Amino acid sequence: MSTLGLLGLGVSLWLAGALASLLAGHRRAASGWLSVAFLVCGGLLLAAVVVRTFTAGPSPEAVLLRVGAIDADLVVRVDYLSALFLAITSFIAVLTALFSVEYMSRYRHDSVAKYFPLLLVLFVSIAGVVTTADFLSFLVCWELMTVASFFLVIFERESREGMRAGLKYFVVNQAATLGMLAGGLVLWSRVDSFHFLALRDAFGALLGGQPALAHLVIFLFFLAFATKAGVLPMGSWLPDAYPAAPSGATAAFGGTMTKLGIYGLLRVFLEIVPLSPATRAWGLVVALAGVGSLFVGTLTALKQDDVKRLMSFHVIGQVGYMFLGIGMGLFLLARSPMLGLLGLLAGVFHMLNHSLYKSCLFLGAGAVYYRAGSRSLSEVGGLGRYMPVTALCAGTAALAIAGVPPLNGFASKWMIYATAVKAGEQVPWLVLLAIVAIFISLVTLASFIKYLAGAFMGSRTTEEPVREVPAAMLVPQVALALTCVVFGLVPLMPLRYVHAAVTGLLPEAGLPDLAAALGDGPGLQMAVGMPDVAVWAPLPVAAALVVLGLFSYYVIQRAGGATVRDVPAWTCGEEEESTAAHYPASSFYVPFKHAFRGIYPQVRVTPPPLPVWLRRVFDVDRWLHSPTVRMVGRGASGVSRTHVGIPQVYLLWIVLGAVAVVAILLGLIG
Amino acid sequence: MLSAALVLMVVVPAFGAVVAGALKGDGPRWALSVGVAALVVLIGIYAALAAPGYRYHAAVGTLPWLDAMLDGPVFGVMLDPLAAVMLLVATVIGLFTVLYSTHYLREKNREHATGHEGQARYYFWLLLFLASMVGVAVSPNFLQLLIFWELTTLCSWALISFYQDERSLRSGFKALLMTQAGGAFFLVAVLILFVSVGSVEFTALARLPDGLRLWVFILLMIAAWAKAAQVPFHTWLPDAMAAPTPISAYLHAAAMVKAGVYLMARSVSAGWAVPPAGAIALGVMALATMFIALSYYFVQDDLKRLLAYSTIAHLGYVLLGVALGGLGSIIAFRGGVLHIVCHGFSKATLFFCAGALAYVTGTRSIAALGGLARSMPLTATAFFVGVLAVAGVPPFACFWSKFMILAGAIELRGGIGPVLVVLVLVESLVSFAWMLYVGQKVFLGPVTRLAEVHSDPPPAMGAVLLLLVLACLLAPAIGIPLVEMIGR
Repeated sequence: MSTLGLLGLGVSLWLAGALASLLAGHRRAASGWLSVAFLVCGGLLLAAVVVRTFTAGPSPEAVLLRVGAIDADLVVRVDYLSALFLAITSFIAVLTALFSVEYMSRYRHDSVAKYFPLLLVLFVSIAGVVTTADFLSFLVCWELMTVASFFLVIFERESREGMRAGLKYFVVNQAATLGMLAGGLVLWSRVDSFHFLALRDAFGALLGGQPALAHLVIFLFFLAFATKAGVLPMGSWLPDAYPAAPSGATAAFGGTMTKLGIYGLLRVFLEIVPLSPATRAWGLVVALAGVGSLFVGTLTALKQDDVKRLMSFHVIGQVGYMFLGIGMGLFLLARSPMLGLLGLLAGVFHMLNHSLYKSCLFLGAGAVYYRAGSRSLSEVGGLGRYMPVTALCAGTAALAIAGVPPLNGFASKWMIYATAVKAGEQVPWLVLLAIVAIFISLVTLASFIKYLAGAFMGSRTTEEPVREVPAAMLVPQVALALTCVVFGLVPLMPLRYVHAAVTGLLPEAGLPDLAAALGDGPGLQMAVGMPDVAVWAPLPVAAALVVLGLFSYYVIQRAGGATVRDVPAWTCGEEEESTAAHYPASSFYVPFKHAFRGIYPQVRVTPPPLPVWLRRVFDVDRWLHSPTVRMVGRGASGVSRTHVGIPQVYLLWIVLGAVAVVAILLGLIG
Repeated sequence: MLSAALVLMVVVPAFGAVVAGALKGDGPRWALSVGVAALVVLIGIYAALAAPGYRYHAAVGTLPWLDAMLDGPVFGVMLDPLAAVMLLVATVIGLFTVLYSTHYLREKNREHATGHEGQARYYFWLLLFLASMVGVAVSPNFLQLLIFWELTTLCSWALISFYQDERSLRSGFKALLMTQAGGAFFLVAVLILFVSVGSVEFTALARLPDGLRLWVFILLMIAAWAKAAQVPFHTWLPDAMAAPTPISAYLHAAAMVKAGVYLMARSVSAGWAVPPAGAIALGVMALATMFIALSYYFVQDDLKRLLAYSTIAHLGYVLLGVALGGLGSIIAFRGGVLHIVCHGFSKATLFFCAGALAYVTGTRSIAALGGLARSMPLTATAFFVGVLAVAGVPPFACFWSKFMILAGAIELRGGIGPVLVVLVLVESLVSFAWMLYVGQKVFLGPVTRLAEVHSDPPPAMGAVLLLLVLACLLAPAIGIPLVEMIGR
């Protein structure tokens, strides 16, 4: 079977799963397990597609459907970039659905018929977005994705916040998509085709002939992708919408959907817009948008008390890192293919890593909510003792997102910093961006320490015992956390595919091969052959850390004869309730909160009312139709007054009428 | 054979109307009405499949005293892609309307309980309406079109006034008066055609001298505006919401107002000889209508009135597409015609949902409703699908038609294209946001007192909603191949 055949079969299985879980919607567990089963079967086929693509090269294109009315072909194909995203999507899809089966039993009053089918449709549309090769089908899948996720956001329909968040999410994204639609139409009108390669020609012509229009179109595309990815200020929908959805869905959003903004960015800037000065200029815009976003997003995250809201702001922050890496890459591509490639690799690798640890974190937050019944960090606490596996996974993911070596988040962040510093020899201010990014990495660590401390450490605020979540909810978390560790220890393994995906988009740019860019492993060697090679060797570092840990535990503790005592917290002799002595999450980083109070302004938009005079003008009945009808009525009653009932008067009318007729006739003849 | 089928499509429902009016029992009347409407749909499908290449034209009868003066027969049938589109919409939605009505007009209806009396009148006019819409669709010339056109006016007058209270009587009269006034302009246009070229064929429009052609087109345009509730004649349509909801659905989605845009599509596509000034006027007024209708959205509390303004705006889309077609963009024209189908099915979905809400809760007030999704999941699903479809969110119906209209617009020369695209997109976005807001208000959030109900509407109404949800997805699949044949 051909690659595209496998793809079609896999996606059809997912669609069938959506239907099956809808039909089984009244039976909670059956619906969930059915969707997991279909996702696994379809996912295996998609995995085969991915493997085949990376071994045998991109698939040829195939026309799925022809819409003759607008001369549009709906085209599918799988290239390296598609394969990379298909791999992420299948992996996260299976895990989030598996997690959701048990998790959804929390929602006793809500049918899962409005959860699992939509989740599957979401994954189908994501698979569609990354495998289409023409703008029209891209747009359709892109919007289908928004529709499906909108209904997931408003899953808890009684909550007003959820409603508002859903509305904001859909309207903001719709606005951005309509902008992209307009941009796509402008290109289409030049070449009469929606195929990406045709659009590339259109861009080439446009950049030469009407550069202003070309930049406007690029801006519209950028806006659409930045909005989806959650870059501020367009991404302000994200911290509202993410927490509103059930955690399984949030993990899917964070792991897959948001990443499609990055996908779009890569497609447009590397495939559709030809390499030109425009690439360089827009690379700068992308990088700066990324820095702004990571700065504001992460600092705002520091202030949050709601676990999921905190993590949602970190999505914004982390997307900022990806934009920074990709933006630098685009900016540097013309100056030095090596540095450009490194920036792109760093950004895309960070995206891959972020998918893993952010999904894991959202699932962990879901597990906490599942057992403790609250998402507020000030209300939960001390869960680590009861939920050790969840705590371990959440801890691993939290350290990964904070960029603690030797986890995967460090590897990609290190690449971003190293690229910036290396490029700083030629463009000094890039180093500034790197410094901001490094500072924000610390802020990330701080805010996740707050999460870990607030949720898992300390003492329980209530005496109610909790249990670890069921195995079906643990497996996804463990799988994700393990992948985080593996990608951190052998970063070159995933980077090989990232490299194929990025260079596959720019076949003619002459980008260096992997060994030249990052060495031949197992660690990373930035830009082999250039002076001042930067090196990151995760395995020795990890080994050293392990040795150090074992040493401190066994040698120091054992040798010192320290014993572990389980006693209540000492409150300086005062007799206080444990809650009063509890250091809640809301008390963390108070000076920071004061210092950055206005960094994330809340703006309420109220549409101006229509002026009264305009309303009067529009009310045609009042000044046109009603007066006309009244006038006709008055005229009719005037005419009716001629009917007096006296024969002589009628005779008079007849005579007058006859005179008038004769006069008219004479006038016509004469 | 084909002409017999087409004539039957008019005769069967007309005859069925008389029988349905004469029957004593309600049960047989419902069965007969549904049967007749279903039969018409079946014949319609046969006709659509049997027409080779969609260029069918046959004479049926003539008037002896006009014979010598006209170049063609007075009465006949015609089937081309445009007529097929109209037939499809009018008959299928007609069937849905009849089916839905059999359960809507009952004692159990909490908004307007309807007993035995009135049923005969209702089905008589409804089936006659169906017959006259089919007549409009298959008319081969302006004169026959005018006759059926006036017949639809008459039927809608009777049906809008169906409840016979003060408000509905006034609304019915208003609708009659305004569309009739527009019909007068149509009549004058036909007379001018008759006098100056001795023909009432659609193609005769192209044979007129330039100046006169513009005037005739303007007269036809005024008639279409009045019929299709375009500014400045838009005021009758929101008032016509006094009609029973299935009738509103039929009026908006398939009949009456669609006859207006159909006239414009006919006039423009007959010979493609519309003077540019006329086409520009049509387009400008369509845009104005879209925005004026939009400005009314935010102050509506009655769900049906909101939908009425939305219909006005969407007919503006159709006319915009037709106008762009007149300016030379065949894609936009096809998009406009496709919008007749897509808007028809999506708006019917929304109206039938509004009807289901009124049936179950007894109110149409947006403010009084809330949190209905829990007790009425099917209606909620259908409503949201309807909103997405009407707003043009892919992959639902109106996306495809709007996309084609936009694609046509961007090809216009002289920089006006992008401006049009921006305006249309702004209207789309704002109306989408508002409809979504209203959908959330009615179906999500806390449950209000009036919304404490326990079930979706009865099965017949539910089945119609389910079918329409499918239609919202599949309408373009049937519509696009049809409109592709226009202008070839």
